[in-house]
Amino acid sequence: MAGPGAIGAVRRRTRRRRAGWHGFLYIAPAMALVIVFFVVPVLFTGWMSLHNWPLLGNSRWIGFSNYTRMLSDIRFMAALRFTAYYTVIVTIAIFAVAFPLALYVEKQRPFVGFYRTIIFLPVVVGLATASLLWVWLSNVDSGFFSPAAQALGLVDKKPNLLADFDMAFATIVVMVVWKIAGFTMIILLTGLQAIPSELTEAARIDGARRWQRFRFLTLPLMRRTIALALIISVTGSVLAFDQFYIMTSGGPQNRMISVVYYIFNQSFVSFNLGYGAALSIVLLVILVLISIVQLWLLRVGEDRP
Amino acid sequence: MKRLLAATGLISLCLMTGASAAENISIWVRSGIGDSFKKVVEAYNAGHDDKVNLTEVPFSELVQKYATAIAGGQAPDALSMDLIYTPAFAAAGQLEDLTDWAKALPYFNSLSPSHVKLGTYDGHIYGLPLSVETSVFAWNKDLYKKAGLDPDKAPTTWDEIEQNAEKIRALGGENYGFYFSGGGCGGCMIFTFTPLVWGAGADILSADGKTATLDTPQMRKAVDIYRSMVKKDLVPAGAASDTGANFLSISNGRIGQQSIGAFSIGTLITQYPDIHFGVTLIPGVDGNPSSFAGGDNFVISKGTKKLDAVKKFLEYTYSLEGQKLMAKYGSLPTRGDIAAQVLEGLDPRMQVGLKAIAVAKTPYTLQFNDLINSANGPWAGFTNAAIFGNDVDTAFSNAQAEMQSIIDNAQ
Repeated sequence: MAGPGAIGAVRRRTRRRRAGWHGFLYIAPAMALVIVFFVVPVLFTGWMSLHNWPLLGNSRWIGFSNYTRMLSDIRFMAALRFTAYYTVIVTIAIFAVAFPLALYVEKQRPFVGFYRTIIFLPVVVGLATASLLWVWLSNVDSGFFSPAAQALGLVDKKPNLLADFDMAFATIVVMVVWKIAGFTMIILLTGLQAIPSELTEAARIDGARRWQRFRFLTLPLMRRTIALALIISVTGSVLAFDQFYIMTSGGPQNRMISVVYYIFNQSFVSFNLGYGAALSIVLLVILVLISIVQLWLLRVGEDRP
Repeated sequence: MKRLLAATGLISLCLMTGASAAENISIWVRSGIGDSFKKVVEAYNAGHDDKVNLTEVPFSELVQKYATAIAGGQAPDALSMDLIYTPAFAAAGQLEDLTDWAKALPYFNSLSPSHVKLGTYDGHIYGLPLSVETSVFAWNKDLYKKAGLDPDKAPTTWDEIEQNAEKIRALGGENYGFYFSGGGCGGCMIFTFTPLVWGAGADILSADGKTATLDTPQMRKAVDIYRSMVKKDLVPAGAASDTGANFLSISNGRIGQQSIGAFSIGTLITQYPDIHFGVTLIPGVDGNPSSFAGGDNFVISKGTKKLDAVKKFLEYTYSLEGQKLMAKYGSLPTRGDIAAQVLEGLDPRMQVGLKAIAVAKTPYTLQFNDLINSANGPWAGFTNAAIFGNDVDTAFSNAQAEMQSIIDNAQ
């Protein structure tokens, strides 16, 4: 005979089971979105990548030929190298600017709200819009930088900023830092503000100097925040496209073709949709690997240091 | 009763055929070729029962949009397509075979030969000339006068052009002697720069389009001519990064000389009346002139149900009336037999564009976009690297190898 206790257990179990089912219902819309707009397209891209898939005409099954072709594709290797170079430079530049800014606007000081706002403002401009703006700014004849440099007597002859690789690359990096640093700053700021002031105080009482407090207190406690900012920044840089497409059309002598730019060219200029799909899958794998390495390096996931 | 039924049947049949006699055809046209085709369509719609619905598509996206439309079953009935793309679409089996009909046209043999050649694939004709443009050399007469040059004397060699450019640059300030879009604009450079080597008998591709023949003495000489002008500061610094946006820089009045297209002659005359300019043929490196014959071919999507109506419209554009209208807005006549009649009373400078057809060439290749037109293709990269870069030899060898590899991969 089942006692009251047993009945209670059954009831609890059904409630739990119903709760589980309810839970699934709650995440169903999100799951549906992810499946329809991410999982299915990725699976389809994978399927396409195993074909010779022209934009016109019939596709033909070719197995893994698209993937083996990549290994000997000089232009793809050049695009990978350039993207890696760009990612490293631009990520360092963004952090070098964003971290001091975050430290600066974290403390309460006069007009801090104003500073935060103007530093964040470029972030709300679209990347394509910002690129167009900077194309104009760096135009040699009708722009701003070159004529201004000449008017100030810094140069004799107006330099064409976008005509040579190093100058054009520097211009793009400055533009991206101007555009993105505010966002990274806000992320780092939330991390800084999450550090309890008691800890800083205690450290100070223990005689830790400013640099020691930063190195042994602030940095370790901000590991998760830094990981988030780093992953967002690196992913964004690896996927860079707009600025090269708009500002330099692939740059002086095609030296600024990022991986995404190359995929775009293969798919919609040369109409090799199959090869473009294979390149996309490889890029996805590369991104996942980079993110895993970053999370591991920063030991995110372990609860406490 | 039976008779009544038959009569109503007959009447409704008549009504139906009457209704279907007036067709609505959809045609796409690329932007950037001036108004000539639009004006012809307007005139046709005003005077005929059939109506043409014209959709303008940005020139840089036309190929892609047309290809996706075909894939999705939404292709327009016909299309005004940059002639260099006709072989690619014909090879993909997406165009209506017009061979029999075209050859029956009484004026078939006088249609622009470059266009018909590009419209022919495997011995069948898929595209017919719609608008013709050739590249020509233009100079600013006012600047010539200021620099002490004879404004009515057309230069015939590149030595002369360079000397004139130096004199114009000597005027100082923002006055420059020469201009070209050198920032990796493959389309601009094939149009204005290759005539230098064509005139001298060389080409960048072999006749069958299967071998890249970039590295020739003629091309070396052509590159030297441009390099020398850049080095002497006769070309504005902006040229090194211009990807085509400022192609018609001569319209700003401070450029002494540049190669332009015949469509631009119409644009300059109608929109920049203050620019007094002369036009002549583009000299080759050894003085023999040449030109690029560009423009659009008219193609019909495979399987359209309105074939006859489309053909009727095309016949109209080939009529004297249609040709005159096109020429007025800057397109050269596509029919050689009535060209003189068509250009009668129009600006005499258009005649130079027409004369260029006789010496003009168009490269025939299925990979035109990949090789030449793409902003990231080998030709676009080559023109920038060879003319502005430090290492001409590497520019030649890189581009030659890359072109050959694109051609080989596509075989």
